[in-house]
Amino acid sequence: MQLVASSKLRKAKARAEQTRPYFNELYKTMCEIASANDDFSTVYTVKREVKSKLFIVIAGDRGLAGGYNSNVLKMAASAHENDAEKPKIIAIGRKAAEYFQKRGYDIVASFANIAEDIKPGTAQDITDLALKMFADGSVDEVHVFYTMFVSSMSQQPETMQLLPLNTQEMEVEGSMTYDPSPEAVFNRIVPRFTASLLMCAIVESYASEQGARRTAMEAATDNADAMTEHLSLLYNRARQSSITTEIIDIVSGASAQSN
Amino acid sequence: MTPFKLQIITPEKTVFDGETEQIIVRTTVGDVGILNGHEPYCAAIAIGQMRIMMNGEFRRAATSGGIIKVSKDKTVILVQTCEWADEIDVARAEAAKAAAEDRVKAAKDDKELLLAEAKLKRALNRIDTSQFN
Repeated sequence: MQLVASSKLRKAKARAEQTRPYFNELYKTMCEIASANDDFSTVYTVKREVKSKLFIVIAGDRGLAGGYNSNVLKMAASAHENDAEKPKIIAIGRKAAEYFQKRGYDIVASFANIAEDIKPGTAQDITDLALKMFADGSVDEVHVFYTMFVSSMSQQPETMQLLPLNTQEMEVEGSMTYDPSPEAVFNRIVPRFTASLLMCAIVESYASEQGARRTAMEAATDNADAMTEHLSLLYNRARQSSITTEIIDIVSGASAQSN
Repeated sequence: MTPFKLQIITPEKTVFDGETEQIIVRTTVGDVGILNGHEPYCAAIAIGQMRIMMNGEFRRAATSGGIIKVSKDKTVILVQTCEWADEIDVARAEAAKAAAEDRVKAAKDDKELLLAEAKLKRALNRIDTSQFN
């Protein structure tokens, strides 16, 4: 399993790197539009009084990955401690679905076995669901819980706010012509942007899962090796002592006869 | 025609990073042509065909939704998917079309219908584009 996780980790890391340019460009464009045109308002940027929240929690489909699953799940569970109402949940990964189901959360949707080979279309479907709930007012904030891949040895559970959007102020070059209008372009970008944000989070999490599993399995392999070593020592000792006893028996029997 | 820098990026990979002489792309308001020295421009891309001129010849691709952003130093096209006409798997597109047609028929509410129609549109667009190959 250590070897399997190592090879999956390599693939997941490469994938995480491929998703970044799209995301970065999209984010830049969105900030440009938002900071160049502060005279328009869209439903996606307006902050409302927060009555109910939606959590999108990304965990693994399988266990045996050290603290990977429990870290991110605990973080999500403790994030709403001070809220009156339990958040609604979109669970990604079987472990996340099991965890929240057991604790009686309102699970809007759950997705299993999608992280390994996540398609942009799937990420889009999930975010469309979140966008719709946000737009029709059934939730006022959407948060994503995922695990950031720092390095093969270290993974950090993180949270980010998906909606309403936080756009950074940016320096904008010259005047850009928007066709047909900044609002129209912006509203087209938002679903794509949030989907790619989610996709990045899923890809990051998946790489983290493999990293965590590799480390856990490495420790397991080492432990098993140490145990095998200890047990073969015990076995050899036992064998040796039984042989010694037998030899003593034979020798003492033979010497008794010759006397 | 003077070439200029173009990047085509999808969530899965960078499809194109190089120079082109002309872009014709289907935006939500119609086909738009971009030449070198175009003013800074930004528009949403619809499901449709995109043509890129290299060495005087057009290369065709099927795109689904995204945006095009023309700035002074380069043009960036961000799309959900972008497939060159010669790389489209026609059999797969036909299968996707048949599946989408079934879903249109089976759709129970407006949202399902909308999703299924978008799928059908993408499949038809891929088939159309591949015929130019």
